[in-house]
Amino acid sequence: MKTTLSCLLCWAAVSLPAYAGTIRVHVQDEHGKPLPDAIVFLESREAKLLSKPIQGAEMAQVNRQFAPRVLVVPTGTSVTFPNRDTVRHHVYSFSNTKKFELKLFAGTPANPVVFDRAGIAVLGCNIHDNMAAWVVVVDTPFYAPSDALGFANLTDVPAGNYRLRVWHSRLAVGAPAIEQPLTVPPATTSASVRLTGLTP
Amino acid sequence: MSLRWPQNHWGLTSRMVALSLLLLLLVQAAVFSVVRISIEESAQRQLEQELQVGERVWRRLLDQNAQKLSQGAALLAADYGFKDAVSSQDEDTIRSALENNGRRIGATLTALLDTSMALRAVGEGQDATKILPLLGKLAATGTQQGQGGQIALVGGIPYQFVLVPLKAPVVVGWVLMGFPINQKLLDDMRALSDMHLALISQTPGESGSVVATTLSGGALKSLNALNDNPRELPVPGDVLIARNVKLDAGAFGTVRTLLLRSMNEVVAPFRLAQVALAWITALGVVMFAVGSIFAARRVTTPLQSLVSAAEMMGRGRYDMPMEFTDRKDEIGGLAMAFDAMRINIGAQQDQIRQLAYWDRLTGLPNRAQFREAVQAHILKFAQDGRGNNDKNMAIIMLDMDRFKHVNDVLGYSFGDQLLIAVAKRLTEREMRVGDMVARLGGDEFAVILSGSDAETAVAVAQRIAKSFEAPLALEDQNVDMSASMGIACFPQHSQDVDTLLSRAEVAMYAAKARTTLMQVYDPSLDSASTQTLSMLSELRQAVAQGELRLFLQPKIALASNVVVAAEALVRWQHPERGLVPPLDFIPFAEQTGFVRELTNWVFRETARLFKSLDSGAPNLRVAINLSTRDLLDVDFPARLDHMLAEYDVPAEGFCLEITESAIMDDPQRAQNTLQILSDRGFKLSIDDFGTGYSSLAYLKSLPVDELKIDKSFVMKMESDEDDAKIVRSTIDLAHNLGLTVVAEGVENALIWDKLKALDCDEAQGYFMSRPIPAHEFSAWARAWNERHHTQPSAKA
Repeated sequence: MKTTLSCLLCWAAVSLPAYAGTIRVHVQDEHGKPLPDAIVFLESREAKLLSKPIQGAEMAQVNRQFAPRVLVVPTGTSVTFPNRDTVRHHVYSFSNTKKFELKLFAGTPANPVVFDRAGIAVLGCNIHDNMAAWVVVVDTPFYAPSDALGFANLTDVPAGNYRLRVWHSRLAVGAPAIEQPLTVPPATTSASVRLTGLTP
Repeated sequence: MSLRWPQNHWGLTSRMVALSLLLLLLVQAAVFSVVRISIEESAQRQLEQELQVGERVWRRLLDQNAQKLSQGAALLAADYGFKDAVSSQDEDTIRSALENNGRRIGATLTALLDTSMALRAVGEGQDATKILPLLGKLAATGTQQGQGGQIALVGGIPYQFVLVPLKAPVVVGWVLMGFPINQKLLDDMRALSDMHLALISQTPGESGSVVATTLSGGALKSLNALNDNPRELPVPGDVLIARNVKLDAGAFGTVRTLLLRSMNEVVAPFRLAQVALAWITALGVVMFAVGSIFAARRVTTPLQSLVSAAEMMGRGRYDMPMEFTDRKDEIGGLAMAFDAMRINIGAQQDQIRQLAYWDRLTGLPNRAQFREAVQAHILKFAQDGRGNNDKNMAIIMLDMDRFKHVNDVLGYSFGDQLLIAVAKRLTEREMRVGDMVARLGGDEFAVILSGSDAETAVAVAQRIAKSFEAPLALEDQNVDMSASMGIACFPQHSQDVDTLLSRAEVAMYAAKARTTLMQVYDPSLDSASTQTLSMLSELRQAVAQGELRLFLQPKIALASNVVVAAEALVRWQHPERGLVPPLDFIPFAEQTGFVRELTNWVFRETARLFKSLDSGAPNLRVAINLSTRDLLDVDFPARLDHMLAEYDVPAEGFCLEITESAIMDDPQRAQNTLQILSDRGFKLSIDDFGTGYSSLAYLKSLPVDELKIDKSFVMKMESDEDDAKIVRSTIDLAHNLGLTVVAEGVENALIWDKLKALDCDEAQGYFMSRPIPAHEFSAWARAWNERHHTQPSAKA
């Protein structure tokens, strides 16, 4: 699997070096304040073709919280749910993206959960109501979270036309990621996204 | 001093009792009204408080209900299966779960809303149309609602609604549950708080209607009859106080609860207290009455005792000690003060008695006590008819002679000592029971001799007289004292105390007048004594109106048989009684001092007539009697001088006769006066010589010229040899001393002859002549002289 990943990276680096560019996306809330932890990704038919499940994705439970709070994986990725607490958890998701239930387990469940549809899955724990996490399943290899200043850098993106999509956990429940077109030139470029309808 | 005690006694007690009862009732009435007012106030306040508390309880009950509802809804919202059903959009399961969970907690309306508050599903068998109108309002309050939930009208019935989020794990919807507020809740509230409730709902534009109530029957009717917001609700026999609790008002109408509290129930415990208070008052009145009667008696009983003690004192009894002096309170103080007063007044009474009944100077009983003692004796024996010797009583009244003179000359202090000495002498005698010696006042003493008759009394009086013979030695002076005593006896002389005393006094004055030392009362004395007072004024009148007559009794020289002198005597020619004998007024005049007027009158009359007297012989002398008072009167010689000058007569023509006793009253002053008179040229003669006790040696020191032998010797000299010897030796003695001798009381020729033989100088008496009126004297004298000179040996 490691070999596959290396090959992919090699492929990406080797096959598209001449066209690749970096996109710097600035995410703001409706008041223009920088919004961290937003998930920014680029979709296109070409990108979907490039998308491959990744290895080693995990949604751990530490100190009765999910870690990370938001996990972005390409479609088809298997995610493991290692339980690092001494108590048991009952992780579930009623989201249409991926419905599953891991009943009262300790340690890492034998079977990882494969997220095979793009979308947002809200994860909860039936024992601990305050535990919540999101798995964002994308059909693209180009995704990144915004940093503390609201910037997300997407690298090695071949030039072309894309749909720039941004999602944040504070968007309404079940709301899809917002979307806007973006043409990526064969050079470094930047874009700005303003999110509205965020819950406090 | 009657105090009519019994009525007053009860009066004071009942007044005290009535007053304390009145005060008690006043206090109780005040307490009652205060209690009544405060009961009303606190009942109001308590009602108010209870209603406030009731409101809180009611709201809390609703809160708890809402909480229960909330918990039920939350339970459903947290149910994994329900979440699963919701996320899998299994409508039938959702509705079933809603209905099932709702029924568990009594929620009759259940629904699932989506995140935008749109209705997704209602409980199985429930009517969605009931809920739909509410959604807007519920959405508006949304998630801010508290635990109390929402109250809203659904089909005219108030419901409590709760809205609980459905989390998976983020909010994916809302569970709504509605709970009708119904009779059961009101009954619960009534059980909790003793209150009645009425739940009233009102949709806009309509009058309120009672949805549920704990009231029944008539109360409900009257509630319906009242307006929307009543303060109180009258019901038969009670009043319910109302509090309006507004639960919620919305666009669909208002819901409110009337809390109703029974006035009677609130007031009941207070009424109980009032009844208890009334009982306490009644009991208090009885106890107060008993207590104050007891307390009043504690005061009035001693007061009664004090009053009777005071009455006792009023009657003069001071020997009864007070009661209640041992009490420690004010009554005890009063009793002690009364007792001290009783003792003090008793002591003062004794002192007054002492002053009233005792003579301070001599320590003897005084006149008052003496009189009472006499009285006591008379009372004791007044009814005793038997001839008992004990019944007899003699009174000796004693008056010092010349005491006033002693007082004048030697001073009052000396006089007082003399009186004390006299008292001592009187009391030295052995006394019988019932005897008493008293000082009646001044120099007057009296003795009671009980069981004595006149004879015994005379013997006692003689002993007293004898005891006075020894001179009193006082302050280095020897004083001769004599006393005159009068004796009166019970029952012979009088059976009345004052009469008896006055008769003793009469006898005493008689003794003094007659200088007989003592005199037993005799009724004949009485007439004299009763005349005494009028006699003084009559005598004055006699002098002023010329009723006195001058009589002269001739004195004949025995040797020559010539009338050589005459004694001037006064006679009283009373206009009614005729000629009053000298003994009837001379002693009285001496006693009263009027004798000086008489002496004056005699001297003046004699001086006036002196030149007209013509006996036919030269150098006729007139003798005039002087009294003690004349001798003691320092102006007497000057007065004589004056009259001699007035009528131009010589002093040598007068002979002044003085009795021995007159000189002996005050020998010193008598001697001075006599010397003065002698120096003037008056001849002086000792009258009544031989009756006194004066010594010849003493007489010799006096400037006298003549002795006049008392007629008692002269008259008896013919029969009594001793008297004859006295006369002879007196004549010899007088001649040896160079004095002439006059014999009085010559009543016959035999005496005349004897006197002549004894070489007596002059004779006076009835043998020669009685006293003759002055104007007839000259004729008589001339006739005598002519007769005897022509017949020298002839006899009258």
